[in-house]
Amino acid sequence: MIVSKWYPKNGRVIFHVDMNSFYASVEMAFDPSLKGKPLAIAGNPEERKGIVVTSSYEARKYGVKTTMPLFEARRLCPDLIVMRPNFERYRTASKEMFKILADVTDTIQPVSIDEGYMDVTSCAEQGSPPEIAERIQQRVYEELDLPCSIGIAPNKFLAKMASDMKKPMGITILRKRDLSNKLWPLPIGEMYGVGEKTAEKLKKLDIETIGDLANRPVLDLKRLLGINGERLQNRANGIDDRPVDPDAVHEFKSIGTSTTLAQDTTDDAEVRTVLRRLSKKVEARMQSKEVLARNVQLMIRYHDRKTVTRSKQLSEFIQHADDLFNVAIQLFDQHWNQVPVRLLGVTATDLAEKSEVTQQLDLFNYEEYAGKEKLYKAIDDLTEKYGHNPFKKLSSPKDAQVTTSFQKDFLDDFKKE
Amino acid sequence: MKFIIQRDQLIESVQNVMKAISSRTTIPILTGMKIEASEEGIKLTGSDSDISIESFIPQEEDGIVYVEHIEPGSIVLQAKYFPDIVRKLPQKTVEIESDNNRNVTIRSGNAEFHLNGQDPEEYPQLPQLHTEDSFELPIDLLKNLIRQTVFAVSTSETRPILTGVHVKMEDGELEFIATDSHRLASRKIPLEQPEGKALPSVVIPGKSLTELNKILDDSEDTIEVSVTENQVLFRTKHLYFLSRLLDGNYPETSRLIPEQSKTIVKIDAKELLQSVDRASLLAKENRNNVVRLITKENNHLEITGNSPEVGNVVEEVLASDVDGEDLKISFSAKYMMDALKAVDYDQVKVEFTGAMRPFLIRPVDDDQILQLILPVRTY
Repeated sequence: MIVSKWYPKNGRVIFHVDMNSFYASVEMAFDPSLKGKPLAIAGNPEERKGIVVTSSYEARKYGVKTTMPLFEARRLCPDLIVMRPNFERYRTASKEMFKILADVTDTIQPVSIDEGYMDVTSCAEQGSPPEIAERIQQRVYEELDLPCSIGIAPNKFLAKMASDMKKPMGITILRKRDLSNKLWPLPIGEMYGVGEKTAEKLKKLDIETIGDLANRPVLDLKRLLGINGERLQNRANGIDDRPVDPDAVHEFKSIGTSTTLAQDTTDDAEVRTVLRRLSKKVEARMQSKEVLARNVQLMIRYHDRKTVTRSKQLSEFIQHADDLFNVAIQLFDQHWNQVPVRLLGVTATDLAEKSEVTQQLDLFNYEEYAGKEKLYKAIDDLTEKYGHNPFKKLSSPKDAQVTTSFQKDFLDDFKKE
Repeated sequence: MKFIIQRDQLIESVQNVMKAISSRTTIPILTGMKIEASEEGIKLTGSDSDISIESFIPQEEDGIVYVEHIEPGSIVLQAKYFPDIVRKLPQKTVEIESDNNRNVTIRSGNAEFHLNGQDPEEYPQLPQLHTEDSFELPIDLLKNLIRQTVFAVSTSETRPILTGVHVKMEDGELEFIATDSHRLASRKIPLEQPEGKALPSVVIPGKSLTELNKILDDSEDTIEVSVTENQVLFRTKHLYFLSRLLDGNYPETSRLIPEQSKTIVKIDAKELLQSVDRASLLAKENRNNVVRLITKENNHLEITGNSPEVGNVVEEVLASDVDGEDLKISFSAKYMMDALKAVDYDQVKVEFTGAMRPFLIRPVDDDQILQLILPVRTY
């Protein structure tokens, strides 16, 4: 084993690879004439619901930001080129990018289509971490024509913060000894894991920077944020022992989809139609992942952008669109305040893999299943004989293409390689 | 009103009555406890309008004096503070006194509490039950009937009627039945019916029976049960326990109990219980802890528990007898354990009719107790 100042005996070396304005960069690689021009990828350029998903650095100079409504982006930057997303392209580029990472180590944890962690602790033969990072960055740039930033640090949190420090095409090393001058001066809102709401709360305690958080008595934080307060403080002090987990890809916490209505509505029938459609989408994605859900969440955004989410915990797992829809519409009837609705979302949570789920039969309806007893027994016997369920494929066509805007679905492709 | 009372007697009565008092009630005065003193003794009353409990402490009983210096009267006290005060008083006796302005003084030793009382006239009158539909049974037996069934009531309000225990009297038998639709518990006892009269069958809220069971001490004394259209009254010498009944039709359950079986297992209840308990150890938190039972050669059963992320457990148990078709079945470990505990016999008979059909657990030679469980289907 090679011990050097780069590879400490008791420590890890973690990379966070972050693609720079990924969707826009992919479009530029595809059509080089776009290079150097302000470009935005937006939901639906024709309709008013168009929102900037991502934009090139040239567009950002004009103040164009992610999630900004399209009309506003156009006002800031009249020459803005707007394109619709081409998910197939991004999916392919993402796959290629992760392949390059996989040439360095197998210990890769993709977190979304355009970023991932790598544990290079045992890669000393391939060179020093900055050399490896530079090689990755060069290959991604030369082979895919895509820019990326890489953070190098002893853990995931610091690596993530580091990759954010220099963009595009940056390589930043963040050591524990650099905390007080590189990390602590940053405003608290820039800390990974601190959202808008948490930042607001912390500011009430006069915590303005990451350093303020690091040096605050932990009890204050626990009182304010519970256990998360302690966790965040540890991170601020450079403590984070989460492993880079290649299998984490399969731990999805929820499957959901939402849609902005073409027009604000108070029409019950339209709401029903939309919820039914969303439920079908969620069902399809649950099926392709072979999971069932025990909680359904409904999101209603009103015309004034006020948003409520309400969920219902169920006693049994469900998998069908009809069941999802029934819960969603029940939640809607309970919580809708009669004000025009702009956006609706349906999310299935508390997921479990089908193979782990069981269904408690009910005294008043078991006969439905009892009738199929012979069939189940036959499947059981064949499963025993062949070691797997020979019928399983029939009910779950894995190759079926499911259209989705859910970023993490990309990760499945990576796993299937 | 004024009296001096033995503290231990008072504590017990207060605790019993507290079972009916809820801090969340729509009628403010019901957050209080009514105290009535008469020459005969002290009566405490609590109610949440679903359940009402009266507990009586006689002035004297069997030559033992419990209450002295009685000046009759009544008052309503805040139940939030009263029990703790009584429990923590320093001496064996307690003096309670209220004046005309409803100021209440509680004295014991050197401790003296002053509480503001409320007007007893505002406290609702408990309904007086006028019915001839009543029967008596030993308290022990009633407690058993409750214990063996009430755990199976539904905790979900989706079918409110299932949150109660169905009590019916037919053909000289009294039967308690409870089901949450995933399992069913039933216990029968022979009961002599009043001449020429059929008692109505009723559904008593499971919560009422659970509280009643806590209050009643094991005893061979009898308890009188009286039934009207919408209320049931349990009465002992010093206790008056009134509960509302659940409205609606209880589903017909007798036809749901299979009459034939394909696989019959006779086994030591404790051994089965312990092995199911072990097999459920690996079940993940808040998931149904499902165990699988497979019949094997030579009267052996294989009990397994499997939790993909944690590990698995396999155990072979020797039954006294396994008769009939081979079987593989999955069921909730909790339901099985609840049922075996409720049956409370050394040897039990488990009768299966198929992997997707309800199965029965009964004592080997006692038809009065029956537990039924619906299996679990694995995907």
